[in-house]
Amino acid sequence: MSEANEVKIGVFICHCGGNISDVVDVKSVAERVGKLPDVVISTTHMFMCSDPGQGLIEDKIKDLGLNRLIVAACSPTLHLPTFRRAAQRAGLNQFLVEHINIREHVSWVVEDKVAATDKATRLVTAAVGRVRYLEPLEMRSIDIHQKAMVIGGGVAGLIAARDLAARGMRVVLAEKRMFLGGRMAQLDTLYPTGERAWDLLGPLIQDVVNHPEITIHTGATLVEASGVVGDFRLKLRVRPRGVAPGVDNIADAVAACPVEADYAFNYGLNKRKAIYAPYRDAMWPREACIVWDDCTKCGDCVKAVSGQGIDLNPPAQEIEVQAGVVVLATGYHPYEPKAGEYGWGQPGVVTLQQLNRMMNPEGPTGGRVEVNGKPVKRLAFIHCVGACEREGVHAQGEHGKVNDYCARTCCTATMHAALELQQRDPELQTASFHQHIRTYGRGHEDYYDRASAAGMLFLRHPGDEPPTVVSAGADGLLVRSRDLLTDGVEVEYPADMVVLSTGVVPRDHGDLRELFKCTIGADNFLSEVHPKLRPVEIAVSGIMVAGACQAPMDITEASAAASAAASKAAAMISQGAVLMDPFIAQVNESLCSDCQTCLTVCPYDAIHRIEADGVARVDEALCTGCGTCHAACPSAAIQQYGFTDDQVMAEVQMLLDGKLADLTA
Amino acid sequence: MAQPQASRETAASPAWEPRIIAFLCYWCSYTGADNAGIARLKYPANADIIRLNCSGRIDPQLVTAAFSRGADGVMVCGCHPGCCHYISGNFKTMVRMPLLQRVLEDLGIEKERFVHEWVSASEAEKFSKLVAQTVENVRALGPLNWPGMLHDRGVGHGQDRKPWGE
Repeated sequence: MSEANEVKIGVFICHCGGNISDVVDVKSVAERVGKLPDVVISTTHMFMCSDPGQGLIEDKIKDLGLNRLIVAACSPTLHLPTFRRAAQRAGLNQFLVEHINIREHVSWVVEDKVAATDKATRLVTAAVGRVRYLEPLEMRSIDIHQKAMVIGGGVAGLIAARDLAARGMRVVLAEKRMFLGGRMAQLDTLYPTGERAWDLLGPLIQDVVNHPEITIHTGATLVEASGVVGDFRLKLRVRPRGVAPGVDNIADAVAACPVEADYAFNYGLNKRKAIYAPYRDAMWPREACIVWDDCTKCGDCVKAVSGQGIDLNPPAQEIEVQAGVVVLATGYHPYEPKAGEYGWGQPGVVTLQQLNRMMNPEGPTGGRVEVNGKPVKRLAFIHCVGACEREGVHAQGEHGKVNDYCARTCCTATMHAALELQQRDPELQTASFHQHIRTYGRGHEDYYDRASAAGMLFLRHPGDEPPTVVSAGADGLLVRSRDLLTDGVEVEYPADMVVLSTGVVPRDHGDLRELFKCTIGADNFLSEVHPKLRPVEIAVSGIMVAGACQAPMDITEASAAASAAASKAAAMISQGAVLMDPFIAQVNESLCSDCQTCLTVCPYDAIHRIEADGVARVDEALCTGCGTCHAACPSAAIQQYGFTDDQVMAEVQMLLDGKLADLTA
Repeated sequence: MAQPQASRETAASPAWEPRIIAFLCYWCSYTGADNAGIARLKYPANADIIRLNCSGRIDPQLVTAAFSRGADGVMVCGCHPGCCHYISGNFKTMVRMPLLQRVLEDLGIEKERFVHEWVSASEAEKFSKLVAQTVENVRALGPLNWPGMLHDRGVGHGQDRKPWGE
């Protein structure tokens, strides 16, 4: 080593009060590590993260000219940024800092004090080997395009768009369906306030559509996404409506349409035409639309409006959007029961979503809840359909798993619907077949109490013995269950209608995984970075999640998540630029053999072949620093900054080196 | 001439302790190990952790290097398939490690000495038990002493006693 490259290592070992030093003899560690070559100072402090602790580090960097810093303390996830900042303040490049975990990985898990002290010594020794090979690095700075893309026009997407626009951000809102409103538009009244869904949704939609900074695309599917935080390049494919704005006699066109198809908005309870407009005044866009999959292009609707305003062969549109950040508010699906599950498919067996449509005065039955034209007098609710399922008891879904999580909304929604119906018809008998009741939210328990007081019958079955629903012929349906609340007796409950309180299941997130490299949890919902510390961000920088695409949540929670996502997105945009870790891969082109192995393993398509030179090159803006190409390169031409072969091999070497025997003797 | 390896000296001694190197990805397994600490789950002190961003960075050469430098066992842990912070880095690990295991077995390294498991951030208990089980298995097998073998043949890393560029 030449003088100019002289390595001067400072080792700072934390007591963490007694969290570390009660088990690890930190003085002994400091003393032993201090004997290693190039270690200029090796010392301890009661709280290295405290101001005096950081001050000690800064002083020693300046006084002794330290050019490598090792802090042995808690987990680097906690305080690595703290010590990097301390190093920077003292003029040392922050990436010449190594943080060793001797609390979570040593003092809290090892009982024997000698063994713990030896382990801590080994880990710090490994760091001494490693830091020699560290290089000064700089964070990557990427400019942020001043626009946000919100995907999903349900309540979460609408709120995210509104909040972003309220901060002066330009927003593009894309909704896959032909109308805004999402799942909330299909609901009747809402807990915990009893307001009508449309009374809340209508004004919210008006706020969004009237905002000059918000551009809305309905019928828009995201088909391409590239780029990184600050500069996402997105492509939307927009299905044309086929109907121009302001066609007066559109009702004639709808009446003329000969096609009838299941109406998904009403969960198949009735039919709609191939040209249709779903719901009342507040709907947006105001024009009807043509469903191209159903339309036979017979031309009857065009004749009905005398050829004005309806085009049966409009071109599909592609729109390119550049955005700095993306908010995903792609929502959920209500669980659809499997054939025969709790009597699904029999007359009188409906889902809670269907019941909600029936209860709506503008729904398919005009607000009447009836079976075969007869008003319902005895109503049984079965909870946890497609939620809180148990392996071995319930049938697996298409994804090969049972939905073992709680869908969170259905208990309160069930009580809410039952109460509402009881108010409409005091003679109505209701029963709840549940394995547990989870009316967990603020004001939700009130619904449970009131349903109970109103005479709702509660029957609790074991989670592994779900109730069965059988037909009782002309008398309707029979629900059979055991009731743990009456010592496990077998109960038969005759009912006119059985409502399956179905859970919330994730939509297929395969497209988002493909487009944005989103991480998806074991339950198939989108995963956040950390449920508490970073609850609305996903691991891909610049992408936020809002609402039920992340987990089952009700409107209250989805709205809160959407506002949180909007403020995160706005904070990011308003910074103007983002800083990213410098731990990217780099190709030494003189060693590259043009085998192109790295191109095939990169999860981010961040490596490209340079045709002219026959070498691979890393796109620094796309590389996220996984190091997979580094491990795959057969020529050792790729090195990942921060985890180079020299750095990691030095750790291995030092951990196992015989010299350690001298140190621990 | 190279010094005898530490593990050779202590091979027969009752004071011998298995030396395990654990390569962990930062996002799942390292955090799982953190959570084992936070839950105060006790496990043996024999496994020394080396942190990498992703298990996809774990070059098989790092594993062989650990054995040839005196490790009695090596652990490789990453996020569960489908949960990789880097989308698919662990899929590469998933195919590399079984191949490596077969090569190591062909070279006479018992399969219990090389552990490849998925440990998520929430699987603190799994991690602590995995370390305990690995230490127990390796202890039952005794010292590997691959450097000694290399030393006897006058080849490989067993000759390289210099800790770093001395």
